[in-house]
Amino acid sequence: MKEKDIRDDEIRVIGEEEKPKFKGWKWLLLLLVGIVVGCVLYTVLKPKEKDQESEEVVEQGYYDPATVVEQPAVKTALAKAADVGHGFIEMADTTINDIPLKVYIPHEMRFSLFVGTIDRNDPSILFATQAADVRADNGGIVGAFVLEGEPLAWGLSKKGYCAIINDTVTVGVAENSPLFEEATERGGYFFRQFPLVDKGQLVENDVKGKSVRRALCDRNGELLVVETLTPESFHDFAQALVDLGVDNAIYLIGSNAYGWATDAEGQRHPFGCPDPPKKKWKNISYLVMKDKGKITK
Amino acid sequence: MLKKYLIISTATDLVRIAPDKIVFISSDGNYCNLVQTDNETRLLTFQLGQIETMIHDQLGTDGLLFIRIGRGLIINRNYIYYINIQSQKLILSDVVRFTHTVSASKDALKQLKELIEKEAKV
Repeated sequence: MKEKDIRDDEIRVIGEEEKPKFKGWKWLLLLLVGIVVGCVLYTVLKPKEKDQESEEVVEQGYYDPATVVEQPAVKTALAKAADVGHGFIEMADTTINDIPLKVYIPHEMRFSLFVGTIDRNDPSILFATQAADVRADNGGIVGAFVLEGEPLAWGLSKKGYCAIINDTVTVGVAENSPLFEEATERGGYFFRQFPLVDKGQLVENDVKGKSVRRALCDRNGELLVVETLTPESFHDFAQALVDLGVDNAIYLIGSNAYGWATDAEGQRHPFGCPDPPKKKWKNISYLVMKDKGKITK
Repeated sequence: MLKKYLIISTATDLVRIAPDKIVFISSDGNYCNLVQTDNETRLLTFQLGQIETMIHDQLGTDGLLFIRIGRGLIINRNYIYYINIQSQKLILSDVVRFTHTVSASKDALKQLKELIEKEAKV
């Protein structure tokens, strides 16, 4: 105890405990400095190719083979397309490993890509869903991208790819694909995304969290877009696609990314959030499907 | 549990006294006088503030026995016998062996009186 001043008109009980002073200021200050430094380091060192969904971090799910109890209930309906007489999206709901899925099956559709603000009122667009990821730092497209033969982005950040060349859509997994050059030479389209299924085998990705997932799939030569109706991990989603019988699949932007599908009756079925994102990305890309305009009977 | 003692030590001597044997300590310039229950008075070569610190540091909660009154006094509350604010008189006594009259400011005595009253209610 330090000697304390006292006036003649004061009294003081000597053994009385002083109110404990908070002595943790140094530690509190150090903690605050640490937090600030941590935030700065995170900002500086965070991965540059951060996609739009990377903030949706929850937890990693695990696949339990014992939960595979249902077989895919999705069948093609080419005959139905012929009856309808025009292109449309067939929609089927199924459940794989307890994961509810919506499967979009395009019939007589012409695939292409679109970059920018899509016209949501364009009746010719029967299906639209966001395709390539956009970098959070500079808004650039993640991975190689070709739009009508014009390369807009280069780089291999993701091994999954989709090439659309002369109405032939190829979904695959490869570090280098000659289809990129072919798309540039032949006015085609090309984009890259996370690979999910490669030749029937699940591809692991280091993406954490759960979200509504979407994928472009090739099953026995038939193209499908598959969407989870509940937030799922990458692993569980990829496993569900494998169990669905998909040969190759790449990821499409999921979560609340807006899109729509048009059924045989011309009814549009939107998915995702119709509100525009808070941040306007000029390079948002869409996988677009339009009516081929001819049906083979 | 061992009884606590106040130990006042210098380079040449040492005083060891039980708290309840101290009636009061008064300031005398740079020194102080310790008045004991046996009516003896001992000169201590410390200032009153230093003695207060010793009481606090050595006796801990036992130091509650003592009350600093103004700049000139430390009293043992057990021996407060009489307080008169108007005459600025404070009598410390065990009513058997010793009686000492000391003086303090009116404000200080008023506070002392209130303190004793307050503690009596508790």
